[in-house]
Amino acid sequence: MQEALKATSENSQSLMDSKNNAPSIRIKELDFLYGNNQVIHDVSLDIFPKEVMAFIGPSGCGKSTLLRCLNRMNDLVDGARIGKGSIEIHGVNLHHKSVDVIELRKKVGMVFQKSNPFPKSIYQNVAYGLQIQGIKSKQVVDGKVEESLRKAALWEEVKDRLNENAYGLSGGQQQRLCIARTLAVEPEIILMDEPCSALDPVATGRVEELILELKNEYTIVVVTHNMQQAGRISDRTAFFYLGKLIECDQTKKIFLNPNKQQTEDYISGKFG
Amino acid sequence: MSPSREPKHPFATRITRGRVQESIMFGFLRGMTFFVLFCAAFLFWDILSKGASKVFEGDGMLNWEFLTEHPQTLHVIGEGKDEIKLSSSNYFKLKDEKILVKWEEFRQSDEHDQARRGLDKVINLLEREWGDDSLAQSNEDFLNRECDNAANKFSFWKEMLVDVNNTAIDFEMKPEDVPSMVSQFILGHFEMERGRFSLVEEKITLFRAMQYPKIESISLKNAEQIEDAYKLFLSVVPEVYNKSIKLFGREVRSSYDEFMQVEGPKEFGRFAEAIVAYSNVRESFWGKDYESENWESLQASLTPFKRAMNVSLPSRDYAYSGGGIFPAIVGTLLLVIGAMAIAIVLGVFCAIFLAEYGKSGKFLSLVRLAILNLAGVPSIIFGLFGFGLFVIFLDWNVSLLAGWFTLAFMVLPIVITASEEALRSIPQGFRESSLALGATKWTMIKTSVLPFAMPGILTSSILGVARAAGETAPIMFTAAYAKRSELPWEGLEHWTDFFFQGVMALPYHIYVVSAKIPQNAYTADMQYGTAFVFLLLVVGVASLSIILRNRLRRKYRW
Repeated sequence: MQEALKATSENSQSLMDSKNNAPSIRIKELDFLYGNNQVIHDVSLDIFPKEVMAFIGPSGCGKSTLLRCLNRMNDLVDGARIGKGSIEIHGVNLHHKSVDVIELRKKVGMVFQKSNPFPKSIYQNVAYGLQIQGIKSKQVVDGKVEESLRKAALWEEVKDRLNENAYGLSGGQQQRLCIARTLAVEPEIILMDEPCSALDPVATGRVEELILELKNEYTIVVVTHNMQQAGRISDRTAFFYLGKLIECDQTKKIFLNPNKQQTEDYISGKFG
Repeated sequence: MSPSREPKHPFATRITRGRVQESIMFGFLRGMTFFVLFCAAFLFWDILSKGASKVFEGDGMLNWEFLTEHPQTLHVIGEGKDEIKLSSSNYFKLKDEKILVKWEEFRQSDEHDQARRGLDKVINLLEREWGDDSLAQSNEDFLNRECDNAANKFSFWKEMLVDVNNTAIDFEMKPEDVPSMVSQFILGHFEMERGRFSLVEEKITLFRAMQYPKIESISLKNAEQIEDAYKLFLSVVPEVYNKSIKLFGREVRSSYDEFMQVEGPKEFGRFAEAIVAYSNVRESFWGKDYESENWESLQASLTPFKRAMNVSLPSRDYAYSGGGIFPAIVGTLLLVIGAMAIAIVLGVFCAIFLAEYGKSGKFLSLVRLAILNLAGVPSIIFGLFGFGLFVIFLDWNVSLLAGWFTLAFMVLPIVITASEEALRSIPQGFRESSLALGATKWTMIKTSVLPFAMPGILTSSILGVARAAGETAPIMFTAAYAKRSELPWEGLEHWTDFFFQGVMALPYHIYVVSAKIPQNAYTADMQYGTAFVFLLLVVGVASLSIILRNRLRRKYRW
């Protein structure tokens, strides 16, 4: 825990910067329902450019759902709908009917809990996002693939076997490949849904390093069950419980001196 | 096992209710399994052993005739050990050979020279018959004869019409029925004349078309008109017949010359045919009674040649038991391939909609229920459905296309269910990551679901279709012919005709041979041979699908 706090304080400078900017994502009084089952209750939250925001909370608290609302992945679920409130990115309501969900998802990339590269070559995985956009020039695609793999700190490990099946990589490499795949589409915001839950500690370390590096260019929202991880990588942390946002503040504050009793109980392991 | 013997240790075997049940059930289950195994083994052994004797006839060599020939009648010559089995084509080949031998013998004999001289003389005499002088005389004779005949007949009919009441009494009928009876007589007469004057077909048709309305409402007056018209018509006949007699006469001459040069049985056959054609025209022109001496001596001088060609090769004939099953193999392959293509295209698109686009709800479960129930519909019902929809309503007749669609609809439930399963077995993660990278739904399906589901889809679909290809009922009304002498690619006027022709098919062939043809040892051979080939074909298609699946699986593994 000490380590985690140290990391957080190091990040406080960038936090101050971001606070001065206009929020990148603004969630306003959001209610979200699956059919008649309300899973998010009246959540309001701002996420600023180039910060790492961590969502923590026990299972079923709605943090993943909220994350998936940010690039409308919930559209896939039958009966998922907004009750009231809105989510805005750069002042645009995501659920307005004029919003093209395809364009939105290009700007708001997502990395999933289970690393799930396509059963194709490493190269094809990274190039996928470009190819479906209709980019055919091999030069452009090659350059973008290399750039993305470099950003994802994977280039050195895979540059000699780009044409091998992605499932030949280790779990951690696969997850970084998924991140590279997301970077290739040039998003502004990256959503990560428990990106390290299936990885061993060493691989987790590499992914966390990567997140801290990516922070310089991207806004990152991470859902995590691992509180140390939240402490290590995030600038701010939001704690959810039963679909409600209990508290959102600087990570240091949440971990050392939370305002709410529930937060303290959760952090200290009394429940959850 | 005396009751006094106590178990020596705590784990000694004791007979309890549970133990008895256990051993009974074990035996029972094992027995059941072995029974199933036995039946399956018997089926394969039966077909393979009996079929193999047909496919690898006698010396273990592949029976090419069986695999590459059309079905034919089997001619069995001799009995017991000396029995020779020949399919029609070989039988007639053998007969031709025998004729050739006998013919050669005849040519060597003295009788031959004499017969030849006789024939030559007769032909030269006969040639005068189509000389211009004799034909001019014939014209007159013909006209006089025919006009007399017509006058006789018409006077009889007119008489019947003059006194209707009297006629009615004679024929024991009502007076008002007499005209219609007379019309029937006249119509019958012209029907006969049409056959006799077949060479002036066009003219007699014209005459009939002009006179029929009058015949329908016959009276004395128009009977006379018809008679006049008919006599007028007769005057056009001789010219045509003159020409024909000259023509056929020359034909006789030239075929005779050819025959004289080569003197083979085939040439003799052609010559004999020319004589028959000539004599037909001759008979209608000169009349049946006209028999010249020449004509009689011609028949007499032909006799020795005819005798030389008369070879008997007694055989017992069994329909459908000879030849091969090549058209049926081709037909079945065509049916399988076409039905497979249609079923997979229809089924996969349907499954994609159900699995990827369909929202769970009442409508969708109704659709699923319908598809599942479709799988339970008996194949004969599908046959009737195909007959009603494709053959009758869409007017495709008995055709490949109708068979394809009928079979495809029959396997559609299997293909849809299997494809849906295959699509559902693709991890949700592929879909989510694809969408998260900015793919539209169809792009997502096309690039990151369908390619990975394809192995599963293809395997189960191909197996399903291969199974359906064995069905007789769906094709018997829609696509299958019991016998067809052309292969599907033969005699097409336009390439689209390919789809609108019926074909022979293995299952239907087995059905026809075993149900429609009188049974004997030879048809049984045919059935088993067909079944054997059919079994191999199905096994082949199934293994093909498995190889295909393994190939694709290796490409996409996760």
